[in-house]
Amino acid sequence: MAYRVRFLATTLTLLLPLYAGAADVDYARDVRPIIQKHCVRCHGEKKQEGGLRLDVRRRALAGGDSGPAVVAGKGGELLKRVEARDEKKVMPPAGQLADAEIATLRAWVEQGAKWPDELAGKEPSEEHWAFKPIKRPEVPKVSREPKAIVHPIDAFILAKLSDNKLSPAPAADKRTLIRRLHLDLIGLPPTPAEVDAFLKDNTPTAYEKVVDKLLASPHFGERWGRHWLDLARFAESDGYENDNLRPNAWRFRDWVVSAINDDMPFDQFTVAQLAGDLLPNATDEQKTAAGFHRNTLWNSAASGDKEEFRTYAIKDRTDTTGLVWMGLTVGCAQCHSHKYDPVSHREYYQLYAFFNRSENAEVKLAGAKEFIPTLKDVARETRIHTRGNFLAPGAVVKPGTPGFLPPLKARGDTADRLDLAKWLVDPAHPLTVRVAVNNVWQYLFGYGLVPTPENFGLNGTRPKHPELLDWLATEYVRLKWSRKALIRTIVMSATYRQSSVRPGNTTDPNNELLARQNRFRVEAEIARDLSLATSGLLVSKLGGPSIVPPFPDGLLDQKFGAESLKMPAGDRHRRGIYIHVQRTLPHPTLAVFDAADGNVSCPKRDRSITPLQALTLLNDTVFVECARALGEVVRKTGVTDEARLRGAFELCVSRPPSERELAVLTKLVQRQRELGAKDEAVWFGIARTLLNLEEFTTRE
Amino acid sequence: MHAPFDRRTLLGRTAGGMGIAALASLLAQDTAHAADTDPPKPHFKASATSGIFVFLVGGTSQVDMFDPKPELAKLHGKPIPESFRAGVRLGQTNYTAPVMQSPFKFKRYGKCGTEFSELLPEIGSCADDIALVRSMHHEAFDHAPGELMLCTGKDQPGRPTVGSWLTYGLGSASKNLPGYVVLLNGRSPKARSYVWGNGFLPATHQGVLFRGGGSPILDLTTPKDITPEVHRAQLDAIRELNALRRDETNDPKFDAQIAAYELAYRMQSAAPELADLSKEPKVILDSYGDGGFARSLLLARRLVERGVRFVTVTHHEWDHHDGIKDGVPKACREVDKPIAALIKDLKHRGLLGSTLVACVSEFGRTAITQGKDMATAGRDHHPHAFSVFLAGGGVKGGQVYGATDELGWKVAEDGVHMNDFHATLLHLFGFDHKKLTFRHQGLDMRLTDVAGKVVAKIAG
Repeated sequence: MAYRVRFLATTLTLLLPLYAGAADVDYARDVRPIIQKHCVRCHGEKKQEGGLRLDVRRRALAGGDSGPAVVAGKGGELLKRVEARDEKKVMPPAGQLADAEIATLRAWVEQGAKWPDELAGKEPSEEHWAFKPIKRPEVPKVSREPKAIVHPIDAFILAKLSDNKLSPAPAADKRTLIRRLHLDLIGLPPTPAEVDAFLKDNTPTAYEKVVDKLLASPHFGERWGRHWLDLARFAESDGYENDNLRPNAWRFRDWVVSAINDDMPFDQFTVAQLAGDLLPNATDEQKTAAGFHRNTLWNSAASGDKEEFRTYAIKDRTDTTGLVWMGLTVGCAQCHSHKYDPVSHREYYQLYAFFNRSENAEVKLAGAKEFIPTLKDVARETRIHTRGNFLAPGAVVKPGTPGFLPPLKARGDTADRLDLAKWLVDPAHPLTVRVAVNNVWQYLFGYGLVPTPENFGLNGTRPKHPELLDWLATEYVRLKWSRKALIRTIVMSATYRQSSVRPGNTTDPNNELLARQNRFRVEAEIARDLSLATSGLLVSKLGGPSIVPPFPDGLLDQKFGAESLKMPAGDRHRRGIYIHVQRTLPHPTLAVFDAADGNVSCPKRDRSITPLQALTLLNDTVFVECARALGEVVRKTGVTDEARLRGAFELCVSRPPSERELAVLTKLVQRQRELGAKDEAVWFGIARTLLNLEEFTTRE
Repeated sequence: MHAPFDRRTLLGRTAGGMGIAALASLLAQDTAHAADTDPPKPHFKASATSGIFVFLVGGTSQVDMFDPKPELAKLHGKPIPESFRAGVRLGQTNYTAPVMQSPFKFKRYGKCGTEFSELLPEIGSCADDIALVRSMHHEAFDHAPGELMLCTGKDQPGRPTVGSWLTYGLGSASKNLPGYVVLLNGRSPKARSYVWGNGFLPATHQGVLFRGGGSPILDLTTPKDITPEVHRAQLDAIRELNALRRDETNDPKFDAQIAAYELAYRMQSAAPELADLSKEPKVILDSYGDGGFARSLLLARRLVERGVRFVTVTHHEWDHHDGIKDGVPKACREVDKPIAALIKDLKHRGLLGSTLVACVSEFGRTAITQGKDMATAGRDHHPHAFSVFLAGGGVKGGQVYGATDELGWKVAEDGVHMNDFHATLLHLFGFDHKKLTFRHQGLDMRLTDVAGKVVAKIAG
């Protein structure tokens, strides 16, 4: 019987062109009911088996993991499957469609698969804010004193505050402001002299002058370069078991710092890192920048298939690119089409294909002896990894970008990384610039306008201020992608300058609407830099090979990389950014403060509070050295105890102590003396106390 | 004597004269949610009050260690029958790889006669105290998601770990040590700190990482020219100054900061005593044996004795994509004796009734090989069916719960999903897993996500 049915079906298929010529198939009347009845349970809104959705035109045409479902006039996976004889391939799995239904589908495809716009269907992603084109929003009109010029950022913030019956916080006092600016822009505290000069400057441009001075400081690049290195999962070893050293990785770190100091426009900055090696007449710097994707982990101890770890590295490059520039968790699509975002399994491997064509290469820099890691392109075919399994190659794919984003313009037949980079920084791309300004905002307010910088997709958190984000995005492009100009715009706003004091009662405890600034702990590297700078020990040399400060006793005895780290300590009092990043043994003084570990891209650091941090600041070698040095400075400079205490306190937190604070410190001096402490020890103790204050490591 | 603690300053902002641990459990952190939620209490009386999670990282091979499958021998070198394949996803290996019998024999142990591999004679000797679960399963395929599933009940980062939920639910019984301690041996699990993270619970519920070797905590020692009295005076000043600044800024993070410094201080005196094994009898030291893992388990017992609520001890040698034949015996030799010693030591001290020991892994391994050469072949990840075992804490020992099919491939009866495992675990500690919740982003979140049922037979 089954045989006869099949025979019939075959006969009908042969006869089909006749049928097709006989009557026009109408999608709504003839095709849609078949799809609805037999297909959408598994390929519809709720489920997309095999990454395929058949009730939405865009998705049906794009197809699923097995390829395009409908190719107008030709065929496609839909016809192949409904006509399949193989039990394992035939769709629907419950049993073959009626012959007439199959014939209708075939006729529809052959007649051009006409699918009217009004029935094209929509996916949630088509309504998703972050995927929509960016339009410059109108700046809200807010009533303030007549003639007062309201900064556009403040207009957006004030409008929403007033909608929610909230008022902005007053401006922070000048001492807080200058310390905040210093910490945010260069990651070093202001000197007492700088604080004094700012206090005395009563001109309207006093604040602006500090901003411009800090933006021009070479330490600006160290501060903002470190933020970028978090995203770049920068490290100086391979990771995995062997965790071999990468002795020249610091060249990439230095490239980042100097590009940021030179205010390289973010579009160029992007192109250099994703495709510097492919630029015409690529310079040494551009090839070094292309080392961005040499920061992937590498398992030199792999006992299995080396190809496996090569594919891991390519996936990491694909995922990191998606995360850093688009705020997308594209990696979810490596095994199957993305559950939430419109990235199909196939599209994932199209992105992967850009990086799969690249090979690790080394380039010898002019005048240098060593070789620098970079990339070069070769010809390599990419196949889909079925269910993410590199041993199960599927269809061949060419480099391409997800269909829900603007189309890619390739220079040649096959798109390459340079095309991809240019596509990303096209101002029409809805994600890149939004993600970029959100990142900058995050480092100036403690939290992004989108609080999930790692996810701009459907599962991310919607911003409370989408209009402000879009205004900033268009402004960034208008400012020709100048990072410094964008930062300047933000820090000049009254919103940035607000006090961070928390009101006793508020309807917005998490400060999502920004009726104040945020108070938050500085990052791991800055906790170190603050102690070094305040105590006068800081060696502020820029760039060059990393340093390996002493590890606490016993730690190197453990097996991780102990041998490889036996190198000269160098200038041990340099900034945190210069501490060697060994993937399997991050320096404990940094790790304890939630430093990025360089294994995966880190768009947002934790800010945990633990007793181990207290032990580090109280007892770790470098922090004790700082306390001793600061104690000596204090002991030698003041005339009276009170003067010393006032001076020391101000040196540490950029403000004089209150009378009550002074009383606590005075009591401590007395108590230490009662307990037999000599002068040196007394001031070491005062310094140790001050360097452990919450306020000292907090950006207020 | 100088007052070690200015109670008025510290406690003025918190409820009454409670200890530092209780204070810690009240702490708010960077979000405002914590303050809105009352700390829970156990829902019923239970026997377990502390737990030790012995986490064999990488994926233990059930058919070589816990779940004897003589049928494998018949299919050795042949492809796995078609009937087994439906719905079983593979990772790196594929169905061209043959079935591999276990190179190891199984034996019956104890009065109960539970079968364990010959590689685990010492654990076998504890069989009458052990509930062996052979029907574990979940969906997470790779290490990090599997580790997250095991430790947080969900295969994505961002949720609190088992130990965090328990310190949240029960508080810490130790004034001098953190409520939740983590001891790593070898490389960290792939999901790193997510494995001991507090997720959306307050930061005080984060597992505190102790080092397996050397001093358990770095930077524990005050610089030698600072006497204990001077050190205390400085800490008092730090606390008073922080409290004054808190009043200026209204920042609730100060409470966590103040508590962290006080706990650090207490750890300074408690930890050296904790780590000092010189008073442990030689017979005890010998029973655990040598090596970092053995030492960690001994430390775990000492931590539990001192009121620490939850200890995670990892051992990282179980990802046998190759070398089952040599790799599994080597790894078993490292853990068999210390784990058995821990169970017996706790029992001898009368602590086993209140201490749950859970020996777990993120998934099992395939009955088919990875790699062609049988002599060096490995097995791939297999979350569809695997084994874990429990002892103490009210668990009914001497039993095997659940079963797999004849190849250890799929669960055949009494399946225990990871969410069920967690529901059972919380039950042993006196919690209804559906009621131990924390409000986060508008949802009452729990360890068991949206599923989980208590396995009454395990809970005794």
